[in-house]
Amino acid sequence: MNASGIAVAAEHLTKRYGALAAVDDLTFEVPAGQLVAVLGPNGAGKTTTLEILEGFAAPTSGTARVLGADPRRGGRAWRARIGLVLQSTSLEAELTVRETLALYARLYPAPRPVGEVMSLAGLTGDAQTRVGVLSGGQRRRVDLAIGIIGQPEVLFLDEPTTGLDPEARRRTWHAVQDLTAAGTTVILTTHYIDEAGYLADRLLLISAGRLLADTTPGRLRAQGGPPVVRYPLRDPALTPDLPPGLACHYDPHARALVIRGGDVAGALRDLLAWTGPRSLDLSAIEVGPASLEDAYLTAIGELPGSTS
Amino acid sequence: MTDTAMRRLPSAATLLLAQIRYQAKLLAGGRAVVIGVGLPVILLIASSTRQAHPSAADIAGYACFGLTLTAWNTYGVRLVAAREAGVLKRWRATPLPRWCYFLGRIAACVIVAAIAGAATVLAAVLLYHTHLSTSAWPGALAAFVLGGTAWAAAATALSAAIPTAEAAAPTLMLIYFPVIIISGVFGSISEPHWLYTLATYLPAQPLAGAVTSALSHPPGTPLLPVRDVAVLAAWAAAGLATAIAVFRWEPHRPARPRPPRR
Repeated sequence: MNASGIAVAAEHLTKRYGALAAVDDLTFEVPAGQLVAVLGPNGAGKTTTLEILEGFAAPTSGTARVLGADPRRGGRAWRARIGLVLQSTSLEAELTVRETLALYARLYPAPRPVGEVMSLAGLTGDAQTRVGVLSGGQRRRVDLAIGIIGQPEVLFLDEPTTGLDPEARRRTWHAVQDLTAAGTTVILTTHYIDEAGYLADRLLLISAGRLLADTTPGRLRAQGGPPVVRYPLRDPALTPDLPPGLACHYDPHARALVIRGGDVAGALRDLLAWTGPRSLDLSAIEVGPASLEDAYLTAIGELPGSTS
Repeated sequence: MTDTAMRRLPSAATLLLAQIRYQAKLLAGGRAVVIGVGLPVILLIASSTRQAHPSAADIAGYACFGLTLTAWNTYGVRLVAAREAGVLKRWRATPLPRWCYFLGRIAACVIVAAIAGAATVLAAVLLYHTHLSTSAWPGALAAFVLGGTAWAAAATALSAAIPTAEAAAPTLMLIYFPVIIISGVFGSISEPHWLYTLATYLPAQPLAGAVTSALSHPPGTPLLPVRDVAVLAAWAAAGLATAIAVFRWEPHRPARPRPPRR
């Protein structure tokens, strides 16, 4: 960390593969203790950015500083202050969970106790199980446990909950929250917008390697556009029967009517007028502000009708 | 500087020993190493149907077969598989000195390979009452260690050129069997002369020669032939130097990342 309390800094960071800019002129700073989620579609440059910050890749131009050091030149002492969970699982299958964690714990000057880490990652019941026979989700937890066993000051999490069941995701979220509460700086990439909304203090939206927005979950949602009326329409046989004023709002991917903005009261009137004679269940109808996911898709220009 | 950073990092020697123990456990625990220990003993027993007592050259040949199977094939395949699974990348990101991982992996391989070679010699002693002089064991072990280092170093160097885990076994075998056969590990080959000469510069024939010499050890001769030792040492040094220069920690990846979704 530098004197100003900045844990991670990128300045005009660029990474090119031939003509393609995987990361294109990124500039941002992350104060110590903050949890920043890096969001973007596949191929946006999230993992490449993380790999530069972790010291695996050199930028084509620009600079990266993590805990005040150039990640490419970080020595043992620097690496002891960094933790990471790679995008894919990277474990030897032959050792047990406890053996694996004890092996990695030995590398650090002040490791967390193995039992504590297993408890935090929800692995206590698997202590004597060989890693090779664990499920994909359990292996992901071992990855996380290895990432935090050295008590890192900066933790890089590259899609850490991909493949986890909802209960395991929640447990991981709580573990990450415990770390940030203790002052750990976390850089997280994820495709789960709810995860970013739940955990992150701040969001960096990246597309085609460029920074589209540096915002917070609250601000992004507020910028997400007008209120939305959602009405799930699971039975495709009903859609030809929709009046033109509603049919234009049918989203076949979501299998729902999604009415954005405009006259909400009028939209609800039209909807009730259509559902009433058909005795359709209205219990699933939702009226509210744009979801964080809608706001994210609008920001990256992926939502139908979005202009960005 | 934080509390964590100010605390002393574990010593490199401690970490190296832990790495050797860990890597040896992984290598010896794998099913593939059973081939390195078991197959040469089975071949030794099978060969006894032709002759009552195997010669020192036969025992040395089978011992070298077991050793090289372990130090070249088993080790090389596991190294590439670990790299492609991201295991090496993960280790690279830890405070473990990189040379510790590298050296730990090779040292563990040499230990397990030497045990595989020694198992064949022990089987010959137990099954056929082969008489060994007092200097035979230390001489053979020295040859096993040197030969294991040469083969493991060469496999480490070659691993950088193998792109996938699936390609590892075929690539290593394609090199391994011709070298082993022309080197006379399963029976001496003296013709054609150029092939014999070539084999003396490869790491199998000098290894088999050194072990044969250690096991038979004629009076008045050096325990290990100087030329064989020199060739093996050269392979070990060249293999290590090449491995250090070209070693890959990260999985191979496509030349370009996927284009962004539009």
